[in-house]
Formats: sequence, structure tokens, C-alpha cells
Amino acid sequence: MQRIFNALVQFRNPILYFVLLGTSLLFLNNRSNFHQSQLHNYSLYFSQSLYGVSHRISNYFQLKKINDQLLQENRALKELELKSNGIALYPTALKTKRRFPFQVKAAHVIKNSFLNQQNYLIIDKGAKDGIEEEMAVITDRGIIGIVKTVSEHYASVISILNQDLKINVRLKKNPAFGTLSWKGKNPIDFQVEDIVMNAGLEKGDTLITGGMSSYFPLGIPLGKITDFERNIQSGYYTISTELFEDPSQVYYVYVIENLEVKEINVLNKELPK
Amino acid sequence: MNRDTLALYSIFLLLVLLQVMLFNNLYLFGFINPMVYLFFIVVYRFENDQTLFILLSFLLGFAIDFLSQSGGAHTIATLTIAFLRPIIIRSAFGVTSEIPSSFQNDSRILSKTAFLALLIGVHHLIYYSIVFFNWNAFYLILKNTLLTSVFSLILIALVSSLYKKLNDS
Repeated sequence: MQRIFNALVQFRNPILYFVLLGTSLLFLNNRSNFHQSQLHNYSLYFSQSLYGVSHRISNYFQLKKINDQLLQENRALKELELKSNGIALYPTALKTKRRFPFQVKAAHVIKNSFLNQQNYLIIDKGAKDGIEEEMAVITDRGIIGIVKTVSEHYASVISILNQDLKINVRLKKNPAFGTLSWKGKNPIDFQVEDIVMNAGLEKGDTLITGGMSSYFPLGIPLGKITDFERNIQSGYYTISTELFEDPSQVYYVYVIENLEVKEINVLNKELPK
Repeated sequence: MNRDTLALYSIFLLLVLLQVMLFNNLYLFGFINPMVYLFFIVVYRFENDQTLFILLSFLLGFAIDFLSQSGGAHTIATLTIAFLRPIIIRSAFGVTSEIPSSFQNDSRILSKTAFLALLIGVHHLIYYSIVFFNWNAFYLILKNTLLTSVFSLILIALVSSLYKKLNDS
């Protein structure tokens, strides 16, 4: 106590000075509108700078959360986009209400192989998140594969970088169907077979999913035609294509669930082989 | 209350009245109002109590502000200059403020002028900085500070020589 008192006595002049200075600043603030607004401006400037710094810092730590939010938002938008893909191809479809039995879930890729001939991915969503076998996996710019096996929290996916996987595709400008498969070398070089020769096509035409499988909805853009060959004897084109999305470099994917796949499978079984 | 203290308070009152009634209405060249009340900061004896001095300077500035309807610039400038006076004395005379040597008895004219110029310059700089209170008015602040300082310096030097003569006689 004595020491505090001594310090107060020792520094009485600076203390007195600053107290009086504060008082006169208060007077200044109260008596002059100009100074009041100027002080207000300066304090606003300082508080804004401080706020800006803290905002940037807190923003940085929220990035992950924001990322997840964006992913969820993208998921919802992806569902709408998939729905609208089909509408654009059939303008009359707007007049009649069509069912769209697909639902989208977001997931992260945690393992992705692309150097083998049969490649697989593992994603961080599993049975607990509603992932089931044979669901389709896509990204924002193309398709990735089909779910093969599901554990509680994870699922393995047959990559389209797998020569066993054949995807039903069509041209965007006319409904000629074909089958997309990997050539087995470069991860974006694919080939399309079984497109009939009477369908006119050019280099640069866009390929989209055909909607003839229960996995993928109609109209997901996949890639562009880089080269094609007329095969006179068989009557089909052999087309080289380049994908929009490099399947070896994906991180965020969407899993598409077809809500009516069981119905389709029942009908499929009844078909004569 | 001894004679010195009485003289000090009389000077205080006289300076306030002079400043408010005469010098604040001078407007030399349209804008220069010399601040003669700073003579109080000069005349307060170096060896007297510094705490009382700060308080009196605050009251002086406040009185000027109050009577000339200004915001608070005189108060802040005068208060600050009173607080800084020991430093200014040291840099002008090269002695500590505790050594009893009043400005009136010091014969070195250069030190006296340096002390006055520093005191007035710093005071005016603070005063005009607060009056304009804007970075963009930097040159205006400097111009006002320099020109007003010159006239304040002349007037305060005159007043102090007059005071010395009165004291001696």
C-alpha cells in the first residue's frame, strides 16, 4: 500500500497531466461539433482496422466450416443442375411434370489410384451416411465411377479409369447412344464405341451421359470428341474423347442415389436374357 | 500568501484578460493572434512546485478557451507545454529544472531565446494541430504555427523585459 502511494506521489505530475489531458479532450469532444465528428472518424477508422484484422483472423479459422457449408450448398445446386440437364434436352418436358428420382450427397476422396488398369477410389462416406452399392459418383465437371462396396463410414468406388466399366453416353446435339470406356493410358483419354454411322458428328462435339442406365441421370457433360474414325464394316464410329475432369485429380465428389433403382432392377430381372 | 504568489496570481488574471479582450481580436494580416498568455509559462519560477504549475496551466488554458468560445485547443496545448517545460528548460539551458535559476536572472540571451522559441513553437504546433485536426491541413498548420510563433515570441520577449524592469525598479 505504502509503495503504491509512494509511486503515486513520485509520478504525480504525469498522472495529473494525463488526467487533465483526458478531461480537456472530453471538453473538446463535447464543445466542438467539428472535433466530435473528426474524433468519431478517427475512432471509426481505428476500430475498422482492428475489426478488419480480427475478422481476417477469425475468417481463417472458419475456412473449414465455410468450405463444408459451400460443399453442402453445391450439393443442393448439383441436384438442381442434374434435374435441369434433362429439361434442356427436351424442351417440351417443361409442359409435363417429370419425376426426378435422384438425390445427391457430398463426399471427400481419401484414396485415389490411377496408375493401374483397374483403379479404385475410397470416399469418406459409408453406410451410415446412406451410401449403398452401385450408386454413381460424379464431380462438378464429369463422372468418376460407381460405388462397389460399402463399410460403415467409407465406400470404395470403381473408377472410370477401369477398363471393365462401360458408361452409357450420347451426343449432346443428337440422341445417338454409345459406350464410353477408358483406353488404359492417359487418365483423360477415353474412347466411345457403338455410335451408329448415320449420326452426324464433328470434332469438338460434347458427350453427355445417356440416361439409359439406372446409375447416372441424363445429361451430365463428360468430354469433347477429339478424333473419330468411320468403321465401314461394322457401321459404327470409333471415337476418341477427352474428359473435362481429370479423374486422377479429384477431391470433392458427389454420390448420386437413384431412389427408384429397385423398381428398375425388378423389371430388368424379368426381361428375357 | 506572500508577495511572489500574489504577483503570480495577478499576472494570471491579467494575462487571461489581456489575451481574451485584446490579443484574440488582433487578427494581424487577417489571421495572426499572438498568444501572450504564454508569458505565464515563462514567468513561473523553475524551482517552484511542478504539480501546481500543471494545474495552473490547465486552468489558464481552460479560462482562455472558456472566454474565447473555443473548443479546448488552448487547454490541451498549454497543459502539454507545462508538462514538457522541464524538458524544454534542459534542452535550452543545459541545466536541470531543479537548479534554482529563473529565466529573469539568466543573462545568456541565446539560451533565453531558444527557451522561448521552443516553448512557443511546440505550444503553437499543438494548438494548430488540434484546431485543424486533419492530416490534409498539414501545410496550413505549419504556416500558422510559424507566423504566429514569430509574433508571439516578439510580444512575450517585450513583456518579459518590461516585467524585469518593473521587478528591478
